[in-house]
Amino acid sequence: MALKGELYTAGPFGEEQIESVKQHFTKLLGQEVSFDVKQNDALIGGFLAIIDGKVYDASVAYRIKEAQHALVTNDFTGGAEIAAENVKLTGSEPGQFHSSAKDIGATLKKRLNTFENKSAVYEYGVVTSVGDGVVRIDGLSHTRYGEQIAFDNDVYGMTMDLEVDGVGAVLLNEQDSVRVGERVYGTGRVVEVPVGDEVLGRVINPIGMPLDNKPLNAARYRPVESPAPRIIDRQSVNEPLMTGLIAVDGIIPIGRGQRELIIGDRQTGKTTIAVDTIINQRGKHVNCVYVAIGQKLSTIAQIYETFQAVGAMDYTTIVVANASDCAAMQYLAPYAGCAIAEQFMYDGKDALVVYDDLSKHAVAYRAMSLLLHRPPGREAYPGDVFYLHSRLLERAGHLSEERGGGSLTALPIVETMASDISAYIPTNVISITDGQIYLEPELFHSGVRPAVNVGLSVSRVGSAAQKKAMRKVVKKLRLTLAQYRELQIFAQFGSDIDSVTKNILDSGDRLSETLKQSQHEPLQMCEQVLVLYAVMNDYLKEVPSPHVRAFQKGLLQYAHRNYSAMLDEIEETGDLTDEQTEELRACIENYQLTCKA
Amino acid sequence: MTEQERTGSIIRIIGPVLDVRFQEGSEPLIKTLLVTKTEPPVHIEVVQHHAPGVVRAIALEPTEGLYCGVAVENTGGGIQVPVGETVLGRVIDCLGRPIDGLGPIDAPLRDVHQSPPSFMLQRPSTTLFETGIKVIDLLAPYPVGGKIGLFGGAGVGKTVLILELIHNIAKNRGGYSVFTGVGERSREGTDLINDMRESGVIARTSLAFGQMNEPPGSRMRVALAGLSMAEYMRDEMHQDVLLFIDNIFRFVQAGNEVSALLGRMPSAVGYQPTLANELGELQERIASTPHGSITSVQAIYVPADDLTDPAPATIFSHLDATTVLSRSIAEIGIYPAVDPLASSSRVLEPAIVGDRHYNVARRVQETLQRYHELQDIIAILGLDELSDDDRQTVYRARKIQNFLSQPMHVAEVYSGQPGCSVSLEDTISSFEEIVDGKTDDIPESLFLLAGGIEEVHKRYADMQQEAKS
Repeated sequence: MALKGELYTAGPFGEEQIESVKQHFTKLLGQEVSFDVKQNDALIGGFLAIIDGKVYDASVAYRIKEAQHALVTNDFTGGAEIAAENVKLTGSEPGQFHSSAKDIGATLKKRLNTFENKSAVYEYGVVTSVGDGVVRIDGLSHTRYGEQIAFDNDVYGMTMDLEVDGVGAVLLNEQDSVRVGERVYGTGRVVEVPVGDEVLGRVINPIGMPLDNKPLNAARYRPVESPAPRIIDRQSVNEPLMTGLIAVDGIIPIGRGQRELIIGDRQTGKTTIAVDTIINQRGKHVNCVYVAIGQKLSTIAQIYETFQAVGAMDYTTIVVANASDCAAMQYLAPYAGCAIAEQFMYDGKDALVVYDDLSKHAVAYRAMSLLLHRPPGREAYPGDVFYLHSRLLERAGHLSEERGGGSLTALPIVETMASDISAYIPTNVISITDGQIYLEPELFHSGVRPAVNVGLSVSRVGSAAQKKAMRKVVKKLRLTLAQYRELQIFAQFGSDIDSVTKNILDSGDRLSETLKQSQHEPLQMCEQVLVLYAVMNDYLKEVPSPHVRAFQKGLLQYAHRNYSAMLDEIEETGDLTDEQTEELRACIENYQLTCKA
Repeated sequence: MTEQERTGSIIRIIGPVLDVRFQEGSEPLIKTLLVTKTEPPVHIEVVQHHAPGVVRAIALEPTEGLYCGVAVENTGGGIQVPVGETVLGRVIDCLGRPIDGLGPIDAPLRDVHQSPPSFMLQRPSTTLFETGIKVIDLLAPYPVGGKIGLFGGAGVGKTVLILELIHNIAKNRGGYSVFTGVGERSREGTDLINDMRESGVIARTSLAFGQMNEPPGSRMRVALAGLSMAEYMRDEMHQDVLLFIDNIFRFVQAGNEVSALLGRMPSAVGYQPTLANELGELQERIASTPHGSITSVQAIYVPADDLTDPAPATIFSHLDATTVLSRSIAEIGIYPAVDPLASSSRVLEPAIVGDRHYNVARRVQETLQRYHELQDIIAILGLDELSDDDRQTVYRARKIQNFLSQPMHVAEVYSGQPGCSVSLEDTISSFEEIVDGKTDDIPESLFLLAGGIEEVHKRYADMQQEAKS
């Protein structure tokens, strides 16, 4: 029995050529093959044959595409089977695709060489149903789990279910242009994003397409999903990541490699804290990735402008899956952002990634799971919604010195409803992160900004990473605030207040004032040390609490004018020696004198 | 078995669940370990026979990159982990492979699936052991050879408390311990190993980790891996073993993640229908026999702070002592945030702990309970409207509440205050003084984060001294 197939040729093929192709396939498949011949100039050169659910691509167009891809990826994920078929088909050696970054010139040359006379065998399937962004495909029986699949017109999908008789996949873009009966091709690789210095300053979508109308020529790609560093490849968090906010750096300090959740109702300043933190990384050698999930584009544009205005885009990438993008795209966004940030970590650098926000991410995943007919659990989220976030956030960490010592700090954001932090998704994420910054609408509206609820906010590792100078000045800060809050509630009950209690209440008031800070005005570590030292050592006793901020502003200006050497020294050494303490004291006392004068 | 009978191929992949076709008649038994012939190999465990020739299995490693048609080999047995002396000081994963970078482990192997000790071998627990933590020793004491649960929502201090217990018990006690990290943070694993290496406890401890970055199959099986190591110490080495599991809820959760994909109907709140069984099979193995005992301390995550969630509710019934950590107590800065009224212990009976301990504990609880009831009245009418007796109860209760806090050794890095342990005797007499009213004139803030009552007296004396000068 003869196999029937289709043959697409670049330019007109003569009878003789077609005959030789036929003979080649007859030999290869052990069966007679007959072709329906069509011409397709998009192939540039060579031919493409489709026989029995497989595509045999020997076109120049394919070679160019593959060569381009192999040049930029570290790891060729194409299967052994395909490579083996290559050998049979073309008689060439299977490719050597693994890069040793040491000798890039030679590697590139070698790679180019391997792509001469190359062709590939890949499969195709046929769409049997499509709707709501979910596609069922007949065929494609050798697709990998999580593989990117390609439809016509640059539409992409990702495989989610591999079954005996077909594949279930989700569409990543252009949901409406796929139709039943359309052909789908496996790409042989899992979903990847461009990484490296080229993506800094850029705005891209989760599959690596630039959104800022500039070409993106990244040298390296990285799969969006990859395993977290193992226990043994990590080390304890020991470097601070300064947010520039006194309330955070003083009470709930964050370390490089920590995961600190920012949680609160809508409009309580969650994004502002994350944005301020990114802005404060200027000159601190931390590369940042801001991932926007399910947000409106205008908000993202505004953040982009803020970053550009202060020069933060130089070291920042923005990954966007906006509210109109399909669920699968929103699902991929944080993993893509993580892959970009992670590459910096594995390169031995420090990176920071902000996921804004994971509640929308969970909602997108719920939509996707339900459409794939996976059964719902609590609040209709699928059972593996915890694993969804745990495998993402576990990729952050501080690598051991043997692994290069890089770090990835993650600041996930979760939005609560009616201040309920004990809801399902918030508690899930709290149980993954190394602490949380809890923002309260009541505080926000009463003028405490950042609206950090100090009682419910914690940082499990950051205090170990605090610089000595900071640690010295904040020693009793937490306890003082806790007592203050406790007494505040109790004092409301109207029993008599003794002088000790009154003292605690007054200094608590001043301390709360100190922790207020305006948007986009980060304070350097030395400035925070000065301000906190003044308030913790009762230098502000005579300043009424409404004037505390003005006093501090003046103090900082005064110190920068007259004591800048001391400030620089504290910033640089991160320590507070007895001499420096003495100088701090002198600085504050002198300023008090100038105030009185 | 011939090569052909041993080899199957993957025909379906949905996340961590795979179907593998073997020759009809040579399907591997349930709980058999299979391994794919890929690089790197992926280990999978058979859980169901789905159709003639087709078995359904759970992957213990990530399945990304696998595809239908991949050859799979039957290893002929179940998951085995190394046990015994040589595993002390070592860290393994759910498949028994060392993950501490110290080279291979030469040790006897034991199947992770075992039957619980029979009825005749059970030895119920009747003695208690001191933890050095006031609130626990007084109100919910732990029995030797018992099962102890630490319940708590996210971020109320379960892991810190379990670390403090390791610090207080494992360090000061000669015997062997097993620590099993189930679905918790990798960072905690790194920190724990480093701490144990520093303190030397690791030489008497075996550790197993399957953390939250790993697929559900691994998180389900690592609990059994840790348990098997503890069982061997009990049965073959005749030891009294301490088994720490952080966090047993994650074991249930991992089962939940694969349940639907295995084709089971979801039960209450989407949990697996087999929840009670899965848990029972595990918990019944943690038992004390004439050969030795296993005292287990298990952290239990409470999803959405909801103690009626099917998972914590089912675990409750297996435990001898429960310590409940509460967010409302953590909020007012009292650590450990143990809820003194919700925590309980089977051994808090006069016959076991003695009359004095029992009475002090009950009086403390009564005082706190009364304060709890009065709180609403205070909120409406104010403290001054209460009767003198009630006002005194309130003041004493607030002192007790503050005194139940305690600086912990492992929390020294956050609080800057060195930790302390308090002996049971001191704990009882300290609380006795408070409920007897001997400390009525000491301000309540001095009771916060103190050790024994002497420390409070000393603080008071210092304060008076300061006031005079």
